[in-house]
Amino acid sequence: MSENDFYTPTDLDMLRMENELLTFEVRFLRSRLGWVGRGTGSSPSLNRLAQLEEAENDLVLLLRRMASSPLGPFLRLKGEFRALEERYLSPRAQEASARDRLTYLEQAENDLVLLLRRIGRGPLGRVFRLKRGFRNLEERYL
Amino acid sequence: MEGASTSVAGGRPVFYAGRFVDRLQSIGLSRACTLLGDWDVLPAQLTVATQEATSLIVLDLFSFPFEALSGVQRDIPLILLLPSGLDEEFLTTVFGEAVFARLDFFDRIATPDRALWKSLRRRYWWAEQQRIELESCDPDEAAKAIGSLLEAESCRPLPHPDFDKATHRVQKAALAPQFAAARGAEQISFDVLEVGVGTGRWASSFDLARTAFFGLDSSEDMVASARANFPEGRFDRLQPGLLVPYDDESFDLVFCVTLMHHNPTPAKKTLLSEMWRVARPGGRLLFLEDFVFGKRSENSTVYPMSVLEFVGLLLEATNGQVSLEHVESLRYPHDDVTRGGIIAVSKLGVPQRW
Repeated sequence: MSENDFYTPTDLDMLRMENELLTFEVRFLRSRLGWVGRGTGSSPSLNRLAQLEEAENDLVLLLRRMASSPLGPFLRLKGEFRALEERYLSPRAQEASARDRLTYLEQAENDLVLLLRRIGRGPLGRVFRLKRGFRNLEERYL
Repeated sequence: MEGASTSVAGGRPVFYAGRFVDRLQSIGLSRACTLLGDWDVLPAQLTVATQEATSLIVLDLFSFPFEALSGVQRDIPLILLLPSGLDEEFLTTVFGEAVFARLDFFDRIATPDRALWKSLRRRYWWAEQQRIELESCDPDEAAKAIGSLLEAESCRPLPHPDFDKATHRVQKAALAPQFAAARGAEQISFDVLEVGVGTGRWASSFDLARTAFFGLDSSEDMVASARANFPEGRFDRLQPGLLVPYDDESFDLVFCVTLMHHNPTPAKKTLLSEMWRVARPGGRLLFLEDFVFGKRSENSTVYPMSVLEFVGLLLEATNGQVSLEHVESLRYPHDDVTRGGIIAVSKLGVPQRW
């Protein structure tokens, strides 16, 4: 808006001012609901939420499978694997999820994609691809 | 039942005479009006009769169906004639919750009994200007006096051109929870300052027996009017340069309602800075402003601003020493363009004195 104090807004300006007001109110309500950091985007659709929750579920199952396999002790030697276990399999995962559910789910999806890429690129990638479950995951997320 | 049918510039009052309708038909009211008896207030008839009413005068309190007022009918200013020979306790028992507690700044009470008015006023914190002083409780005399008063008022400019009962109702519904949140624990003393107090219409939202209510305005007439309306409050003029004549950290709640658009940007900044200065750390600053401004008055210049511009100005004026507590947008009845917004912040910092 013009700095001129005697400026009278046109209709377009009123539209912009209304948009700013409603956006500001939505940002405030989202922050109060704990959706911190997501203020500028639009709220995710239910479909997107379902997709994210599925990704979280797949990641948890994959991590449990890896941790309970004979390779588990060796994987735990790597800090990144321990970080993933801590983030998604420990009791603290529940707290983090409850605190900011949307951020948590998006991080889980991101971690799942990175993990699948890492496994697929490694020397055992071809072996894993013999399993239908792993191929499904690759198809779904990569 | 229709009385005189000529429409009148400046308003169309509806008189409800109830059981006294026969008596009132013969007196010839001083202005065109609609006259209703106790058979004319069935919901459908009342809706038709009050469609264009500018005020609803209830001369027979006992037979009027207040519970039938709904929707836009609630936004018609009421004038209630208090029946004679009844004391405060009786009236509050019968009409307290259902009628008196719901009256607004725009409703009025007509009574010749000053003592009764005073005791009811202190119970519901009505403004002095809400009283219509009569010489008699007789419905005929009261109708004549109220009719003459309304006719005289219709020739004068509106005392509050920027708002009406409907706007007030919307603003009050949004502000009341914020006032309560600012008050917190009931037993603690509560110091409130309204900047741009006008005639003091928001003072009645507080229990003035337990609240120290202060009001500031740049107009001497407004200050005088607020003092007359609420002798319990303290009302002063803003000092030159829009400075607030009170010490730092004096108030638990500092608020203003549709004030900022009357001031250019530098004045807005001064006001925000002053409001922040006199608020106590942990206290509230509350702003109800029109952030989409559709109303235009020929008599005054307005300086509209968007919510983001306001928030930017607030952060600048307070050095960012505030924390956002509440944001709420408002729509007003009968206005598709103007949008109000409430911004409540608490003041950060450590008190200078304990």
